Amino acid sequence: MIEVKHLYKRYHNQTRQSVDWLLKDVNFTLQKGVSLALIGRNGAGKSTLMRLIGGEDHPDRGEVIRRCRVSWPIGVAGGFQGSMTGRQNLKFLARVHGYTDRIKEVIDFMQDFSEIGKAFDEPIKTYSSGMRSRFAFGVSLAFEFDVYLSDEATATGDAAFKAKAKQVFHERLGKASVIMVSHEEQILRDLCQAALWLRKGEAPVWFDDVNEGLDAYNESVKRGSKGAAKQASQQTSARQAA
Amino acid sequence: MSVRSPWQVTWSVWHALFMREVLARTTGDRMGWFWLLGEPIAFIAFMVSLRTFLGRTREIIGAEFVPWLIVGLTGFFLVRNAIQRGMSAIQANQALFAYRQIKPVDPLLVRNAMEGLLQTIVLLILVGLAVLNGIDALPDAVPGVFVLWLSLWLLGLGCALVVSVVVRLVPDLERLVKMSMFPLLILSGVILPLQRFPPSILEYLLYNPIVHGLELLRSQYFEGYHMLAGVSLDYLWRWILVSLALGLALHARFERRLKAK
Repeated sequence: MIEVKHLYKRYHNQTRQSVDWLLKDVNFTLQKGVSLALIGRNGAGKSTLMRLIGGEDHPDRGEVIRRCRVSWPIGVAGGFQGSMTGRQNLKFLARVHGYTDRIKEVIDFMQDFSEIGKAFDEPIKTYSSGMRSRFAFGVSLAFEFDVYLSDEATATGDAAFKAKAKQVFHERLGKASVIMVSHEEQILRDLCQAALWLRKGEAPVWFDDVNEGLDAYNESVKRGSKGAAKQASQQTSARQAA
Repeated sequence: MSVRSPWQVTWSVWHALFMREVLARTTGDRMGWFWLLGEPIAFIAFMVSLRTFLGRTREIIGAEFVPWLIVGLTGFFLVRNAIQRGMSAIQANQALFAYRQIKPVDPLLVRNAMEGLLQTIVLLILVGLAVLNGIDALPDAVPGVFVLWLSLWLLGLGCALVVSVVVRLVPDLERLVKMSMFPLLILSGVILPLQRFPPSILEYLLYNPIVHGLELLRSQYFEGYHMLAGVSLDYLWRWILVSLALGLALHARFERRLKAK
């Protein structure tokens, strides 16, 4: 179960003037086994909320209470040490996450899953970007979490690898749930039950049914773009008049 | 798997970081290993030849010169390395703060434990070498030496905790701290006995807690050693407790600032 209570977050610009809240009073409780889709326009704070839930960043006010094992955002490669080999990085993470007695299991899974072969014992900085992201994706799935965080995490690689990644991910979701940001609506409809619609400057809206949430969001986007189109045509006519 | 307790998470993180530190020290930094022993040996060789050259025969009362120097150097390096390597510990592990389990204080604590172990090994090796060369360098009161050695390590840890936060808040101070290490070596009475300084200067030198730590360590190491007047265990431990408390408080207060890139 994850509880998000009165969460506020803003980033300061360089002159340290106060800016508008990016996340303002976000509240929700995610029950065990429920997967959540975060929806909203670009810059609405989806990734920021994800980072806060993952504990990668701190809120300005409010708190995130995790009563279960929560992953870091899937596929994030920022925490790897480039001068160490894939194996060494994996062992380190296994120890951090309490898999000290099961390191061999984790390594076997990774060697099988990530398809990087001998490069597993080479420093990570020598990896190609494809290898790097396959490795990063695999590391996230190598450990069992109750809630996975997936911010536009689509596996890279060839079709076979993508299919395998998808299958493992679905297997994991049998026992775990996910909090997800994705621009592919179908994935959200397939994997998630609930939705949270983040709106810039306004209170977020919670939907128990992901389909309702996406429909409401799409409706507003359509209205919004119509409004934008209207504005654009007004501008052109104004220019023509001038 | 069930949710782990905070203590279990912390222990996992320390274990993981320690193994990583061992790996980094054994594979990356080959010259580092050499200097670990090379630096004190060079110091000792230089000081011994200097004394022979100057023809000074005035002994330190109650101790032989070479073991006296070994104890002072390793004790001082124990504190100095804690501060110097602690300053870079946070910066070097910045990427790891992407995982919420790891806090800035963790790499610092682990690195300090590692440095303490290494410096202890250096002391043992140097004493071993001295004994092989026919110098009586074995400690007289082992438990006392152990307690004082541990105290010096804690003093280094406390200072490292404070300094690591301060140099992140005011980066220019890092240079100053590095620069002050050599004068500190002299003023701590590591290579020249402070007993010869006039009392008017000594009064100020005794503000330095390392002086107290080293003199007390030597008094345990050499039976009958004439300790500097005014040295007190009380003062040393006051420094240890205050610096540890202040350092931990600073880390708690500025955790976010330390994590930020």
